[in-house]
Amino acid sequence: MDALITAFDLPFMARALLVLVVLSLVAGLVGVLVNLRGLEFISDGLTHAVFPGVAIGFVWGGRDGLFVGALIAALLAAVVLTVIVRRAVTSDAAIAIVFTAMFSVGIIVVSRETNYVGQLDALLFGRLLTVSPAEVNQTVVVCLIALIIVGFTLKEQVFRAFDLEGTAAAGYRPLILDILLNVAIALVVVAASSAVGNLLVLAVLIVPGAVARLVTDRLWLLFPVAAGFAILAAWVGLALGYEASVNGGVDLPSGATVVLVLVAGYVLALVVRLVLDRIGGPRRTRAVAGSAAQ
Amino acid sequence: MAAASFAYGPEAALTGIDFTVSPGQAVALIGPNGSGKSTLLKGILGLITRTAGTVEVLGQWPAPAGYIGYVPQTDQLDPHFPVSLEQVVLMGRYRSLGWWRMPARADRRAVTEALETVGLGSRAKTRFGELSGGQQQRGLLARAVASDPRLLLLDEPFNGLDQVNRDALIETVKRLKQQGVAVLVSTHDLDLARAVCESVLLLNGAQVAFGPREEVLTLANVQRAFGSVGVEMDEHTIVVPGHGGH
Repeated sequence: MDALITAFDLPFMARALLVLVVLSLVAGLVGVLVNLRGLEFISDGLTHAVFPGVAIGFVWGGRDGLFVGALIAALLAAVVLTVIVRRAVTSDAAIAIVFTAMFSVGIIVVSRETNYVGQLDALLFGRLLTVSPAEVNQTVVVCLIALIIVGFTLKEQVFRAFDLEGTAAAGYRPLILDILLNVAIALVVVAASSAVGNLLVLAVLIVPGAVARLVTDRLWLLFPVAAGFAILAAWVGLALGYEASVNGGVDLPSGATVVLVLVAGYVLALVVRLVLDRIGGPRRTRAVAGSAAQ
Repeated sequence: MAAASFAYGPEAALTGIDFTVSPGQAVALIGPNGSGKSTLLKGILGLITRTAGTVEVLGQWPAPAGYIGYVPQTDQLDPHFPVSLEQVVLMGRYRSLGWWRMPARADRRAVTEALETVGLGSRAKTRFGELSGGQQQRGLLARAVASDPRLLLLDEPFNGLDQVNRDALIETVKRLKQQGVAVLVSTHDLDLARAVCESVLLLNGAQVAFGPREEVLTLANVQRAFGSVGVEMDEHTIVVPGHGGH
């Protein structure tokens, strides 16, 4: 298992790890909020909505255009999404309709390209191991913006997640908070698109937050737990993919491998949680004991 | 508030509301389920559309940030949300803290004091969802207290509370009134109205009556508000046939 260390001597492996670590930090933060707000479905919609932007950008400007296209589509979608959810009584249908439509537009745009299958594959599943230094920079900058947006409004976002009316009563404008969070989610989707791909972004956003909720119910521990878990999964996933490809003769796609490690971690956390609850009674007793010990 | 009406979407939910509440005074909102009590509170908070009339809080609209303390019904909150009681109370300080600033020692002290005020000082670290309904209600009151409001809105604060929690709640509200806080409380419970409220606003989709408590709470008025001649009233409760006791 020395692949855990040696694999990252290779520049392309180190770049892949760097991208994933940056993503993990931000996705940990944003992902916990997604979990607290129950925004998993909306996040799913957002990844679909970004896809036509990615596709159009790619067709027009190649790999550089991909990023710009994704960014424009993401920001647009985040704002539209926030408003739809506000206005519609049954928001799920509205989200599903709008965003599957946009996803189809993306597919049609890409299908005009000659190398259709290869391009689609790269857009949907990412090219983690061929990320260029320029793309690393883009990812870092976009993640940093998302980090600033959410970091500066974190306590307000938690307040809003807990009690919408209380937030409004306190004089906040929840619509602004919602737009900011959705923009941050959109930025994570964009940052992750070129690396892990449009379909697997969702795992990076959702799984770490869900794992953190299983591990702790202390609010401010959720964020480091989610980020730490995501980083660990990225590291193990990359090393595993490398080991399998180089020494095992099995060509594992790196993005998908990382996602599977994330999901495996979730299943493990879930099983441990269930076993602990079975042994120590329901979660309530554990939490009471935990808070008394503080 | 003068001739104010409120609506969810195109449907008018509450019309013709005309009343005032002064600093240090309390108004009870009384009416059957669906009569617009919560609607009125949400209208004051600016959470729903006002279709007519005016609302002013200390002469201003919208109310300046931090002027209103709101105690919602606890059953609207997720009991599994990973947040401790003191973290909930601290939320009452966020607005005065401003964006991206972390709570300082003064904020922590305000939280401790607010928890002492409602008698929950020993439960500060407990996860909010693990508290009993009455304790959650008092916790939300502590959050409102910590925000140092000028106007306090309470939505059915007595729902599901035992006598100990009722007494604690009434004591806290009385103390806030002495400090000059204006209070607006929706309730089914005449005990609460008698204990803390000088005035009563009777509602039934529209304003039925407003005035000093004893003048408004006549059997005739209450029957009009509850839309039933079978309504009976004793000194504690309004008894409506087929209305679950209260």
